[in-house]
Amino acid sequence: MKRLLRLTHPIHVVSGLVIWGLWFVAIYAGLSVACSVAPPESERDMLTGINVGVGLATLATTALLLWLSWASVAAGRKATLRRECYFAYLSAGVFLFSAGGTLFVGYPIVFLPPCL
Amino acid sequence: MSTLDVAGEAARSQFWIWWAMLAVAVVVALGVFALWFYTFRRRQPPPRTPHEERRIMLRWVLGGGIALPVASILVLLVFAAPSGRGMLPLPDDDAERIEVVGHQWWWEVRYPGEEGERDVVTANRLVMPAGEPVDFRITSADVIHAFWIPRLGGKRDMVPGRHSTIRLTADSPGVFGAQCGEYCGAQHTHMLLHVEALERDDYDAWLEERRASTGPGDGDDGALEAFGEHCASCHTVGGFPEELVVDDLEHGVRGPDLSDIGSRPTLGAGVLPMEEGAIAYWLEHHQTLKPGNRMPPHDHIDTETLQAIGAWLETLQP
Amino acid sequence: MSDDKDATLTPDIRHLHRGMAEVWANPRGLGALTVVNHTSVGLRFMVTGAVFFLIGGLLAMLIRTQLAFPDNDFMSNEIYNQVFTMHGTVMMFLFAIPILEGVAIYMIPKMIGARDLVCPRLSAFGYFCYLFGGIILVSSLLFEMAPSSGWFMYTPLSSGDYSPGRGSDFWLLGITFVEISALSAGVELVVSILRTRTEGMALHKMPLFAWYILAMALMIVVGFPPLILGSILLELERATGMPFFEVAGGGDPVLWAHLFWLFGHPEVYIIFLPGAGIVSTLIPVFARRPIVGYGWVVAAIVIMGFVSFGLWVHHMFTLGIPQLALAFFSASSMLVAIPTGIQIFVWLSTLWLGRPVMALPMLWVAGFLVIFVLGGLTGVMLALVPFNWQVHDTHFVVAHMHYVLVGGMLFPLIAGLYYWLPLISGRMPSERLGRWSFWLIFLGFNTTFLVMHWTGLLGMRRRVFTYDSAMGWDLYNLISSVGGFMMSAGVALLILDVALHFRFGRKAPQNPWNADGLEWAMPKPPTPYNFVSLPRLETRHPLWDDPALPRTIDEGRHGLNTIDHGRRETWGSDALTGKPREVVHLPTNSWWPFFAALALAVVCLCLLARLYPLAGVATLVAAVLLLRWSWENGAHPRAAPDPTVAPGQPPLHSRTLNGPGVWAMSVSHLANGSLYLSLLFGWFYLWTVAPEWRMPETSPLSLPLLAAAGIALTLGTAWLAGLVRRLDRRNDTGLAGGLYLVAGLGGLQSALLGLAIWQAPLAPTETAHDATLLVALVYVLIHALLGGLLCLLQGLRVGYGYVGAEAPMEPVVVLRLWYYNLVVYWTLLVSVWLLPTLLGGTS
Repeated sequence: MKRLLRLTHPIHVVSGLVIWGLWFVAIYAGLSVACSVAPPESERDMLTGINVGVGLATLATTALLLWLSWASVAAGRKATLRRECYFAYLSAGVFLFSAGGTLFVGYPIVFLPPCL
Repeated sequence: MSTLDVAGEAARSQFWIWWAMLAVAVVVALGVFALWFYTFRRRQPPPRTPHEERRIMLRWVLGGGIALPVASILVLLVFAAPSGRGMLPLPDDDAERIEVVGHQWWWEVRYPGEEGERDVVTANRLVMPAGEPVDFRITSADVIHAFWIPRLGGKRDMVPGRHSTIRLTADSPGVFGAQCGEYCGAQHTHMLLHVEALERDDYDAWLEERRASTGPGDGDDGALEAFGEHCASCHTVGGFPEELVVDDLEHGVRGPDLSDIGSRPTLGAGVLPMEEGAIAYWLEHHQTLKPGNRMPPHDHIDTETLQAIGAWLETLQP
Repeated sequence: MSDDKDATLTPDIRHLHRGMAEVWANPRGLGALTVVNHTSVGLRFMVTGAVFFLIGGLLAMLIRTQLAFPDNDFMSNEIYNQVFTMHGTVMMFLFAIPILEGVAIYMIPKMIGARDLVCPRLSAFGYFCYLFGGIILVSSLLFEMAPSSGWFMYTPLSSGDYSPGRGSDFWLLGITFVEISALSAGVELVVSILRTRTEGMALHKMPLFAWYILAMALMIVVGFPPLILGSILLELERATGMPFFEVAGGGDPVLWAHLFWLFGHPEVYIIFLPGAGIVSTLIPVFARRPIVGYGWVVAAIVIMGFVSFGLWVHHMFTLGIPQLALAFFSASSMLVAIPTGIQIFVWLSTLWLGRPVMALPMLWVAGFLVIFVLGGLTGVMLALVPFNWQVHDTHFVVAHMHYVLVGGMLFPLIAGLYYWLPLISGRMPSERLGRWSFWLIFLGFNTTFLVMHWTGLLGMRRRVFTYDSAMGWDLYNLISSVGGFMMSAGVALLILDVALHFRFGRKAPQNPWNADGLEWAMPKPPTPYNFVSLPRLETRHPLWDDPALPRTIDEGRHGLNTIDHGRRETWGSDALTGKPREVVHLPTNSWWPFFAALALAVVCLCLLARLYPLAGVATLVAAVLLLRWSWENGAHPRAAPDPTVAPGQPPLHSRTLNGPGVWAMSVSHLANGSLYLSLLFGWFYLWTVAPEWRMPETSPLSLPLLAAAGIALTLGTAWLAGLVRRLDRRNDTGLAGGLYLVAGLGGLQSALLGLAIWQAPLAPTETAHDATLLVALVYVLIHALLGGLLCLLQGLRVGYGYVGAEAPMEPVVVLRLWYYNLVVYWTLLVSVWLLPTLLGGTS
């Protein structure tokens, strides 16, 4: 099991997207639940706690993915087997995409109110 | 019905977005096709080292495969996506509120009254003020429909059990087509709505007229009696004498309110134009004109009675 | 093996060939129903899919005839509604997915150097489910009882109140039946690709096509269960009145839309990925150089596979969901442009750096590129929410989706057909007829659908059976119809070409396109066992690096080149490195898949006819048949009674603890878990969103009973895990007794759970709360029963000597089920008992 944690294992080709997916489900579900439990007043437009919360989650996830991307590059540099190096770089690319994707998908909080 | 023949704010922003996107799309598509065909037309490529090949590949993939789509979608997200804000029902006390309910296969339109006033109810004809935002509060009585006035802006589904609000503006007075945008069964095709935008004053007058009208008007007693016997359990006419209603059906189906039917431009949600005698014709042949519609056939009622009912209904205009 | 070739081989090798042919023989006549070999089953999938394509195409022509002129009365509105519903349904469910599965089933073992898929009987079973389900569904057209609610069957239109006929039932039952075949193909393709590659084919040396199919198969496994769940719930609503989607009872029609599109959007990519895989296979061959940026393509595939699950709501932009939530889905829909762009530019740069030749298959690839790029661009437009509101459900969308699906799937499929035809038949197709059919289909397609974008922008909705001349749509519709008929002429020519080539095509050389793939090292037409000996490969381009491979394989100079043991064998290799870990012995021809599928068809028909008691009996018969099938495994006389292998070879997989069977069980649980999560999603969704949801103040369920059942389950799992740990040390003392004990605990769990359900005051036809609760509890009850029953059978098998220290794999497989049950049971308890109790009822 321990070898699964090393960033040279091919499982990490998908782990960046899994994190992205979990974040995506979390913000979509969180938004839906928040809007049905405690919808903010519509006068506040996008300046609501929900937008701020989603924004913080987005930034934190992006930071995590960026760090993982960088760590994968480092692991790829250190790897001895060609295969390990290969998968580390591949994962680094996917982590980077996931980081960009997180930021991109989270961006609409700056121009839309949450529950309308 | 054309989305490109714009008559309102929301439709206009989409009109420009469409042409801009089309222009970019054509350039991108032609570029890709040209590259593709050029790779086949070329003479022998020069010999390259694997390192050079790698550099060329990276240039293509980073440029075409990443930079191009990233730039395009960033532009879309930052500039085009916020254009939907205009249709948000952000708080605006002035916005006129009109309720529209979808039915299989007709439209119920309600103008909610102030406190104590009764709602004005009509069907298959929507009159709205021009030059100001109108909030349409929409829902459905049976299956999912969609409320769509193509020349004014995008559509919104009418979902049973839910209400949603869409804000549309008509630039100036005019007549627009509207149609059900979500497939809703046998007669989805014939679920059209006649939309009229009027100047504010005309609109107020129109609404006032309807709010004021009280009675079923004059008709010969035979027509009223027949209506009470055959029609009144599904259809309402404002002020229709209660004692004439024979309600012997057990059903959940409701037909359009007929209080001002004489003033409506079409019958059967856009199937027939309203002219003299059209209602009687519709009453007799509606299952051939609009097969499957929810009104039962009238084979058991003789033509004279139908004509009497039709003639009386045509007088119903405030 | 042809005779002239035979003459050049030594007697030993001739003996080997003859032995292989005997062990892998396909029976003829009625016995053909027992065939399980992937080559035969794959071919059956493809031919059946092609027949359904023709039926779907015929329906499309009916649609175009009706719409050719305004106010046309060629068809009544009722018939038209059935026709367009069935066109979409047949094309999506009976053509696109199955035929691509057929291609994958046929090609994958040949490309990765295996002799068959890991679960051959499952392939055959899947095929019969597909065939029977398809026939049942299409037969509804003959009775004029076809579904008429559109291919996405939105409730409440498709529910009992508004579609009282049998149409919706045909759809729900038929499609669910067909989806069994998709899931079974998905599971075994995943395991085959990961675990049966030939020696040395490490994960990063796989052909790109295998990566595409791996992604597709995993997406099927995760993506189909939401629709299966939705179909079960809707059928329950129609049959018994449980109000899952009915507002008054606390349900919500939007839940159906979510479940449908949770499946429906990934499905588009499930269709596109194999198409792109074919393109990625063909382009390097005709560019005469290896693909550049292999890693980029793999990354793009992985990204597409995941992101495509994050955009289902873009089919629901008009449903009145808050704009911010829509914006998330809009943005993630746009993200897909990036992996698509990467693939297109990898293909372009491969051509740029190669010396491309324009052969017939490449013509179809060019057609793919043009059409798919256009479809992709309109796709990005549609991802923009405000624009989508304007054109949603108009002919613009119809045009877009045909560009994506026909461009992304049909054109690559035909490219692949022309490319692999010589492999299938040993003959070359006609270049001239092929070109004619290409241009007819290509031009016909664009004539039909390019103008249709415009018709949609002019306000023409989809699914209208006629239109008024005053709208100004006449000319555009007529053009579309003419194009449609042009396209069908092209299809007719294509069929003619393929049919003629079997008779008149010239004989194909060993490697007609000078390709790099391992499949071209096979005899043509293929033998059921593919390769007499399985080569060790270190390269992504076996035939370019070693052109002598076909001969050395034929001469039996590579691995697994013995047959006297009488087993069907292939390598079980390490998922990562491709190093052989086991010798996988594959089951031979069997009647069980056919009869099991037949029994399920009877279940399906009984449900359609609303003969519920009979359906129950047929379900029991099907279960018995399936269990009887599972009996012939491991050390059973019809499987592998003799464990000896050639010296130096790894052990038989049934003699290890981590064979492909364990992987297949894990992948099946991925599908099962997806079904369970969809159910939980439904529960929480209705709880938070449904307008009329009613939940009682205190839970109707008895905690002591549920907790006791959970404890029985936990004890059983722990005990079974202990037994497996001992098996790992080759110690099987007390195995049978232990298994019986665990079976008893499973029975106890089932009994307690059954009691809890029975004594709970549930009114499932009154409220969606009770209905969902009941379905969830029945789901865990079925699993509890299955867990107990399988342990009981394992105990019996120990007695027969089929399972034990020497053949320890099956208890490991069963243990996976128990682990799954454990997780599902306790999480369900938290969701339906603990959370409602903590948060309080009435919402």
